[in-house]
Amino acid sequence: MSELISPLLLYLGCVVGAVGVAVALPRKGANPQVLGLIAAAAGAGLLFLAVSLPAAELPERGVGGGLLGHGLPNANFYIFGLIAVLASIKVISHSRPVYSALYFVLTILSMAGLFVLLSAEFMAFALIIIYAGAILITYLFVIMLASQAPTAEEGDEAPLYDKYAREPIAASVLGFVLIAGLTTMLAGGAGGLPAPRPYTGDLLLNELPRRVETSLRDADLLESDETIALTPEGEPMIDIAGGMIGVRAKGASPVRMIPVGDWPASMHVTNVEGVGFELLRDKPGMIEIAGVILLMAMLGAVVLSRKRVEIDERVRAARAGATSPGNDPTVAGSPGGPGEGSAEAFGAGEWVERSGAKKPIRPERGPAHEHDAGEDAR
Amino acid sequence: MIGATIGTLAQTDFPLVAPASVLMHYLVLSAIIFGIGLIGFVSRRNLIIMFLCTELMFQAAGLALIAFGRYHLNHTGETFVIFVLTIAAAEAALALALVVLLFRRKESLDASAWSELKG
Repeated sequence: MSELISPLLLYLGCVVGAVGVAVALPRKGANPQVLGLIAAAAGAGLLFLAVSLPAAELPERGVGGGLLGHGLPNANFYIFGLIAVLASIKVISHSRPVYSALYFVLTILSMAGLFVLLSAEFMAFALIIIYAGAILITYLFVIMLASQAPTAEEGDEAPLYDKYAREPIAASVLGFVLIAGLTTMLAGGAGGLPAPRPYTGDLLLNELPRRVETSLRDADLLESDETIALTPEGEPMIDIAGGMIGVRAKGASPVRMIPVGDWPASMHVTNVEGVGFELLRDKPGMIEIAGVILLMAMLGAVVLSRKRVEIDERVRAARAGATSPGNDPTVAGSPGGPGEGSAEAFGAGEWVERSGAKKPIRPERGPAHEHDAGEDAR
Repeated sequence: MIGATIGTLAQTDFPLVAPASVLMHYLVLSAIIFGIGLIGFVSRRNLIIMFLCTELMFQAAGLALIAFGRYHLNHTGETFVIFVLTIAAAEAALALALVVLLFRRKESLDASAWSELKG
């Protein structure tokens, strides 16, 4: 039965979701965002129903602690997933960039929750620190730096290009055709996934005698003078796969074996240890490459931001003719407001002048040029 | 019963196998968020929002990577997501510097104000 219903539900979900997103995107005329959000959430719900129905019929696997014990994910998955979908729809549909960025923070937070559900704790917190803490702050700065000063006639309204989306219907159809294709393909390929190989991550502890010793000592399994015993070859006597750890007191006392049944719960490789060893021992080149990429991005940003801006003629004309109204409404959403006010608002002209003066290699620097830059400042 | 399941936050203890149907849920969520990011990139006209939508797509890719890593019981997905974060940070720095330059020039964040750039 579910073989027939699931694809129908899937495509129905995609259609409902596409309608919802198309309604929610900003456009001319009436814009019932709440309706669109509800429809999009319903579409996402149908999509998950289409995936969950066949999964719920699976025999109980006894692992996962899933909802009601079947092959379904944890109930928290549905909560975080719904928040992530709704917040990302708000990101693309809100007409104010600052709110979009804030909803993106909400998406990131729910994404971090999903990472915790996937027991990727390190990535969850790295995501919050890097994205919500660093990248989003950059976005907010740029949004505020690059916003137009409010003009008398427009008041506090958002500029035109934020109020009207470009081809919302075609875009949502495109996006949801992609989603439908991806999910159909996923549903078709679900049976062909290779079974995961047995977990071997804990074998890492064979090479970490001090870590093993600490966790044994914390569990009061070691006497105060006992340490991990050494084999005649000088290797620590830790056999994770065999389930034996040898400890020995100082002196020539015999080796005492601690079997796997007595090991404390901390005798597993934690997520941070696993990621750290994977990154720094198994793939050390990756860190170097990441460092080079970040360095190049930093240099590029410095070079770009020191570049002198040639202001477009139309903008210059709009600024010059700001006092005579109706001079230039050609640039879409351009302020056309009082020239002094807008220039002072972002300090653009002043910045251009200063950055130019600091650049000694430009040969054409001269009094005339200074004057030109000063005009730009107006 | 549901309250008890909500109470346990972590999906499972890590080394336990997660069934493929659970992986499928995460992949579908990832596909949905990627699609929403794509819709935003195509339909919004504000340059900054367009870059925000690429970040959304990065997030979706990262979720899929980590879900696969969880399924296969290794940390390779997570290390790759660290790389994705690096690229996202580099992209944000460069793209936003470009956006500020473009904005200074036209005083508009409208992507169609730059349609003369098309080849």
